[in-house]
Amino acid sequence: MTTPSLVSMDEQRAVAPSLAQGELLHQTTSLCRQCKNAVPAQVCAQPSGEVWMYKTCPEHGAQQVRLSTSADWYQKTRAIKPYEVPPKNMPRQIELGCPFDCGACTQHAQKVRLPVVTITSACNLDCPICYVHNKNEGAFHMGVEEFQNILTHLKAEAGGDVDLINFTGGEPTLHPHFLAFLELAAEAGVHRVSICTNGIRLAKDEALVKRLGELGARIALSFDSFEKDADYLLQGAHLVQTKLRCLELLEKYKVDTTLIPVMTRGVNEHEIGRILEYAWQLSCVRHIEVHTITYTGQSGTSFDRSGRISMYEVLEEIERTTAGLLRPADFVPSPCAHPLCYQIAYLMMDPSGGKPIPLTRFVDPETLYECLQDHLYIEPSRRLEAAMLEGVDRIWSSDDPDAERALHLIKDLLARVFPKERAITQAEALAVLERASKAVYVHSHMDEETFDTERIVQCCDSNCYADGTTIPVCTYNILYREKEPHFMLQPAVWNQRSGGQRAVPKSLPVVR
Amino acid sequence: MLLAGKRCLVTGGSRGLGLAMCKAFARHGAKVALTYRRSDQDAADAVKAVQAESPTEQLPLHFKGSVSDAAHVQQTVAQLTAEWGGIDVLVNNAGVTQIVPIALLDEADWDEMLAVHVKGAYLFSRAVLKSMIRQKRGHILSIGSFSSERMIESPVHYAAAKSALRGFTEALGREVGRYNIAVNLLSPGLLDVGLGQMLLPHRIKEYVAQCPLGRLGTAAEVAEMAAFLVSEENTFMTGSKVVLDGGL
Repeated sequence: MTTPSLVSMDEQRAVAPSLAQGELLHQTTSLCRQCKNAVPAQVCAQPSGEVWMYKTCPEHGAQQVRLSTSADWYQKTRAIKPYEVPPKNMPRQIELGCPFDCGACTQHAQKVRLPVVTITSACNLDCPICYVHNKNEGAFHMGVEEFQNILTHLKAEAGGDVDLINFTGGEPTLHPHFLAFLELAAEAGVHRVSICTNGIRLAKDEALVKRLGELGARIALSFDSFEKDADYLLQGAHLVQTKLRCLELLEKYKVDTTLIPVMTRGVNEHEIGRILEYAWQLSCVRHIEVHTITYTGQSGTSFDRSGRISMYEVLEEIERTTAGLLRPADFVPSPCAHPLCYQIAYLMMDPSGGKPIPLTRFVDPETLYECLQDHLYIEPSRRLEAAMLEGVDRIWSSDDPDAERALHLIKDLLARVFPKERAITQAEALAVLERASKAVYVHSHMDEETFDTERIVQCCDSNCYADGTTIPVCTYNILYREKEPHFMLQPAVWNQRSGGQRAVPKSLPVVR
Repeated sequence: MLLAGKRCLVTGGSRGLGLAMCKAFARHGAKVALTYRRSDQDAADAVKAVQAESPTEQLPLHFKGSVSDAAHVQQTVAQLTAEWGGIDVLVNNAGVTQIVPIALLDEADWDEMLAVHVKGAYLFSRAVLKSMIRQKRGHILSIGSFSSERMIESPVHYAAAKSALRGFTEALGREVGRYNIAVNLLSPGLLDVGLGQMLLPHRIKEYVAQCPLGRLGTAAEVAEMAAFLVSEENTFMTGSKVVLDGGL
């Protein structure tokens, strides 16, 4: 691991290619890094093949940030049209413009697929990369009535059962009644509840992990590194053994788990292959969701910005560190979000311990994209089934030397879904199917520098409130959370950082 | 009662449709024997369930073995004949479900499917025919499938095996009709047991959408039809197939 050096804005400006050299790809509205006012931005491809965003705040001057190392990938990915299902409940008329009318406002193009419920402001860590604000003194713990109101709104929006809810914080396991919240969610017909956690409490409390397994909870465990120094740099504590103990218990009690490593250039990006391979060996791990570092929140804002890494660089690192097992071409964007926000690959697991096989060996990326249209997670469907059958025929009729193993994997899976020994239930068959594959997500949050309203209007991850308000997670982290007394001893006020002045021309959205 | 005193043997009778038929036959007053291949526990549970249906709480007989194993078939029929003095009804129900496309269908899969469905029906039918011919009466009923009646998605070895049973039924019915032995085929659609229990929701939805009666069949419905087909009430039907699929 190399310790990244601190790069100032001036230095960044010095290394950035000039706007004049670039080819304009698109224009958007971004935010000033300094005052967070809305500013017009230009996104350009440079002769080097990189993509940079350029913007100028009338008060704080010119700013630029690299968005991608591959203009080709950026353009091809951005050109993929999301599957838009706007929210039914849009209480806000457009007044100030995106992102200041959340939400959702009438401009928002995606319904909430991942409702995030922040149940506490308390946290037992102070991670140097923490991208939210927390408050331990007089900590906020969401009340039952408030949570029930959120459930009511989510059910109304979903028009029935809610597919998924994510509890976050702070550290949600510090909420004194978070198990009761899980039960309430289940009673309300929520299919899956995931809990974002650092794992400290779980590693120490086996009975709690057992109970989570009984309640069918899903754990989203932060897991950044196996290396002591990198772990300390990112989490501010030595937690590798704690995380491994936590995973041991999650495995023991069969608690479905998502591992969440935050990739930071020069710190842990070389470990991504090792983390993936470790996760593939654990039967409890259903997904690995790789985040790119984002510079928001109580600590992230001041973390070394040379650690910034783009989505495509993460995909390349995955290919390099898995010896080509997963390639960028094995990933597709989530159709439920802006294509630059999520990349998803699915792998068929080999129960006999062989290397997993990317689903795109069977199913072309376009079909995989279609199959993901209605859910953040892939679900069995007629379309997927037909595509898999076509894939089997294609592989069988080819001379691919790996064909036999791939076909054996599928046949073994079919034998487990439709066993000869006894008729299993539909739920058991679905569980077998779910365990037969693992997903790798790469999720790129935005901060003030990389903010792009084109992406935010497509966001399907929103922080949810008791009055039905939903705020896309990136705008929430950048603009809204710091204004809430729940999370701040001294809440920020709108436009405080720019001195309350209108910072952009009248024709553009302004901060309120 | 429809089957009072009838001596009925059902292959693959420890679970699913086989068990439902054993229970129905017992309820209609029959003496029941069942065969099973794998789970002793399932068989023990089935024996209790069938006994509970019998008006006289008659304990069903049970035999473990594969229907494609000639020795097992001979021993089962010999023991039953000794115990009961003859056999009136045979239901060739034992089957195997395997969902695979042709690309993944190995020779061993093919052989097993044909062995269980076709060779099993042949072995058991031939074995029971001796006493039926002597008695100059009997019913042989084989369980087919809608997959051999319609051009639907189905594993080819399964559809082939079930189709073979149709030819088997017609030819055997023609040959043994002179002894007053009726041979018929009952082909159910998707039921609430077996495959219908395992299929994923989108498949069930599709089936129901195409089915005029708008639902899956039940094992109990098929069992009642089977009870009629093997009873004395069925006086003039042989070599026939009855499709019970909700009108698909």
